[in-house]
Amino acid sequence: MKKAFIFLTLLFALSSVFAGGSSEKTASAPVKNVSNIITMAIPVDPDGLDPHVTASASTFQITSNIYESLITVDEQGNLIPALAESWSVSDDGLEITFRLRDNALFSDGRKCTSAEVKASFERLRGEESVRQNDYAFITSIDTPDERTVVFGMDSLNVATLSSFAYPWAAVVDVTQDNLRAKPVGTGPYVLKSWTAQQSLVLDRNPNYPYEVRNNGVKFVIMPDLTAEITALNAGEVDLILITGDLASAVEGRGYNIIEVAGNGLQLMAINCAREPLSDLRVRQAINLAVNKDEVIDAVWWGYGRKIGSHFPVVLKEYVDLSDTYGYDPERAKALLKEAGYENGLTLRLDLPKNYQEYVNAGLVIAASLENVGIHVDVNIVEWAYWLSEIYVGRNYDLTVVGHTGRLDPYALLVKYVSTGSDNYFNYSNARVDELLGIYQSELDEAKRVEYVQEIQRILAQEVPALYIQDPIQIFVAQKDVFGFASYPINIYQMKDVYRAR
Amino acid sequence: MGRYVTKRLLSALAVLFFVTLITFLVLSVIPGDQAVLSLGLDATSESIEALRSSMGLDRPFYVRYLEWLFSAITFDFGTSAVYGESVTSLIASRIPVTFSLTLFSIAVATVISALLGLFAALSRGKGADGIIRTAVMITSSLPSFWISLLALIFFCGHLGWFPVNGYISPAEGFAGFLRSITLPSFILAVGELALMTRMFRSSLVRSLSEDYMMACEVKGLSRARALFHYAGRSAIIAPITLIGNQAAKLFGGTVIVETVFSLPGIGRLLLVAVEQRDTALLQGVVLFITFMVVLMNLLTDIAVAAADPMIRLGEEGGR
Amino acid sequence: MKKRNFSLAAGLILLSVIFILFIMSYVYLPYRIDQMDIRNRFSMHSAEHLLGTDHFGRDIFSRILVSTRSALTVSVSSVLLGSIGGLILGSLAALSPLAIELVIMRLVDALMAFPGILSALMLSAVLGKGVMNASIAIAFFMVPVFARLSYSMILENRKRLFIKAARSYGASTPRLVLFHMLPDMLTRLITQFSASVGTAILTESSLSFLGLGIQPPGASLGLMLSEAKGYVLIEPYQALWPGIVLAIAVLGFQLTGDGINTLLHREASHE
Repeated sequence: MKKAFIFLTLLFALSSVFAGGSSEKTASAPVKNVSNIITMAIPVDPDGLDPHVTASASTFQITSNIYESLITVDEQGNLIPALAESWSVSDDGLEITFRLRDNALFSDGRKCTSAEVKASFERLRGEESVRQNDYAFITSIDTPDERTVVFGMDSLNVATLSSFAYPWAAVVDVTQDNLRAKPVGTGPYVLKSWTAQQSLVLDRNPNYPYEVRNNGVKFVIMPDLTAEITALNAGEVDLILITGDLASAVEGRGYNIIEVAGNGLQLMAINCAREPLSDLRVRQAINLAVNKDEVIDAVWWGYGRKIGSHFPVVLKEYVDLSDTYGYDPERAKALLKEAGYENGLTLRLDLPKNYQEYVNAGLVIAASLENVGIHVDVNIVEWAYWLSEIYVGRNYDLTVVGHTGRLDPYALLVKYVSTGSDNYFNYSNARVDELLGIYQSELDEAKRVEYVQEIQRILAQEVPALYIQDPIQIFVAQKDVFGFASYPINIYQMKDVYRAR
Repeated sequence: MGRYVTKRLLSALAVLFFVTLITFLVLSVIPGDQAVLSLGLDATSESIEALRSSMGLDRPFYVRYLEWLFSAITFDFGTSAVYGESVTSLIASRIPVTFSLTLFSIAVATVISALLGLFAALSRGKGADGIIRTAVMITSSLPSFWISLLALIFFCGHLGWFPVNGYISPAEGFAGFLRSITLPSFILAVGELALMTRMFRSSLVRSLSEDYMMACEVKGLSRARALFHYAGRSAIIAPITLIGNQAAKLFGGTVIVETVFSLPGIGRLLLVAVEQRDTALLQGVVLFITFMVVLMNLLTDIAVAAADPMIRLGEEGGR
Repeated sequence: MKKRNFSLAAGLILLSVIFILFIMSYVYLPYRIDQMDIRNRFSMHSAEHLLGTDHFGRDIFSRILVSTRSALTVSVSSVLLGSIGGLILGSLAALSPLAIELVIMRLVDALMAFPGILSALMLSAVLGKGVMNASIAIAFFMVPVFARLSYSMILENRKRLFIKAARSYGASTPRLVLFHMLPDMLTRLITQFSASVGTAILTESSLSFLGLGIQPPGASLGLMLSEAKGYVLIEPYQALWPGIVLAIAVLGFQLTGDGINTLLHREASHE
């Protein structure tokens, strides 16, 4: 038995020795794979490859390489041409005209004319689409000629243009009957093969007119992050996405580490309709009891930017409200006493199991809340359960979750409209409702910024959630792999990634 | 024998029916479905209702089950909601992985544990016996995910003997295929060693002490001859049963090494089917695993009967 | 045959280590198991933290102490549940008329065939979290094992000469089971029971790896190991102590089972 322990200890020791040793190996080894195919490890399969029937982020990271939307965004979030080479908005804001690029072709060689674009948007608004409500604002789609598409709306909505840039607004070939498995789009790549839970290989699309800086992309599906890093060290993959706690495993090894503030929000939602939590003082006490810097440090090892309201740091309307309620456990206790809970109270905290970081954040928060006399019952649930019972069912006290960013503030903040169907905070504030109501039709840019900032301040004061951070994403690439960039919406642009020769 | 097998197969059908019914029932009782998952954080109660009805999920449970059952009878197991591919072809693509993992690891475990068991039985009570028994127990006392991770980092990462990134199909190259499943198979085998070595040892020990061994000695047969012709034969029954059971167990139990080594096997397909509430896929996988286990149990019983004429298959029905 | 029963001695020594930790968890717990100290995470052995701290700066020693509670409760209760269920099913099947026997054994087949992970997944969705749920899930793994064992033992026994002899002078079925078969079966059952407790601890750790075992912020050896596995590249020592204690517990039960087996066999041969 003793032998086994010695062996085990040796193995540990060896693994740490080798961990130091192999970096040189990677650094000096000649590049074996000169074929210029980029291999990226991803943790899960996409949820099918049809962008109209899913809301899963892992899907859009891949479909954004196969399909194109009419327009897209650059790294700063500016709208740039994609399938449409130009566009214009009518003076009254009720009509948007897109001009498609000349001779646009689907990957199967079929022409992509305005009629195909129209059909694709009709599918997006159809009953099998998960986005039918989001695009209900479109009242007419006209196709005066082969390259022109005109979208009509009946009310003014300043955010309209950006809704054409999201990856789910992609133009698909509607004549295909199984886009989930056999996608056909106008993007830089075509699907070559997809073996579920193993790999997904993209080939160059011969009909794509613009520059693609590699000869293809291979996504390998690796559910274990330790295995992903080991594969990177072994030179089997070129690109991985890691979490902050493992950053030290890849630092100092010559890799290209790309740290970008994502456009996202991570927060602990508070159910404002539930008994003790409807009391503002209790919500404030929760905020005062938690040291956000410590949470960010504990869970993300400091890779994140602290926030104080429901707004990502990267958008221009952002106001820094992160210190509205600083860490002050004594005041938290005082507020609880004032609210009549000096003998403590018990709250349930539901955490989605498949997001390890949210589970960890929840555990750190729970430990802090215990310190001010709030007993927390941690309950770890499956994602499907979380979605239907917690998020849609609103049957919870506290829960930790993340929201991916949008280009338009309204899309972010509409969750707080008191009658809104995705107001899972059960939050209600007349002023917020009013501001969101007038925002949509306000044409003056400065005023819109003002409204959005006022909402941020109200939320920061009334705390329907404990706003934690805007996450920083860490991509790690082999030292000769360049060109990977991160965008304010959740897409990967693999066409710009290349291997230096 | 033929009648017995038919009977077993018929009762297997009943088992399969109940298993699919239970799976379907549980899946429709637990919260969350395909519509909710597709909508994700964009879900609202209205959009869920709309999507549910367009997916047909709003129909009562028994209607959907009967619909599935009737097409399953014609060997049409439907299309996976997640992958948009037919369930049959998804499962078919996993069979080589899980089959080879199971067979390889059982083969490795059988050979090693038979040798160790034999050696231990012959040196019963001596030092070697104790060392072997303790050693296999230690190897089986650590969780497989932990051994897998250490092995992954050490053999794949540092030594580079095996690929980290999982599976190479035999079609892509047989040598690569062997390389990609060797390590996971060995790890699975290690987990089986303690139980199997112990079983081999104890059933050999028991046979060696049976009366007829004494008779063999009296007759002047050599020890080796007695061992292989008589003791070996009767000692093999318990191990056959065990190997059969373990193979059946492994078949559904490879999910951990599949996860660590990124192998696309049945176990991970099962996990994803439950997590994604992919009813058709889950039904297919459960049906398949159940069928395989029932089949392996049946084969085990037949093998036992073949090895030991004392046990007559007909007996179960003929007593 | 050996003069001293090495397995039993070694097994009992290992088990007493676990029991000492178990008792200690009630008498003296250095830290609350969810007490975090982020600045002090991944610290090595020190006077304050005997075995260092984990990724949240929680005291590993305290967590190991508390883990022995769940290890013992989950494993013993799941094996108890599973073995009782299995014994009842197995002996019912072996002793009842053909039709019932067939139904029961097919039920056992179904249980055995039903993927264990799936039943654990479904149970956790239906029953929720906790020690109880983990025990029930693991008991499901145990039922078919014990059912088949007792079934085959009874069938085997009834072929033996002494049973035939007993039957020939008119012993009743219950009498046969109680006085003639049970003593013989007991040996194998106890061995199986003790080894199964070890297996149950291992199964719990595998379930934890898949997120189905004991849930955080609770503590179990499996959970500690599966939390540590995320840091195996940067802090490999994290898994050392939970791994050692887990191995001690599993080995302890297996060696004890082995030892009891030897002991009972020896006594049987003295008769």
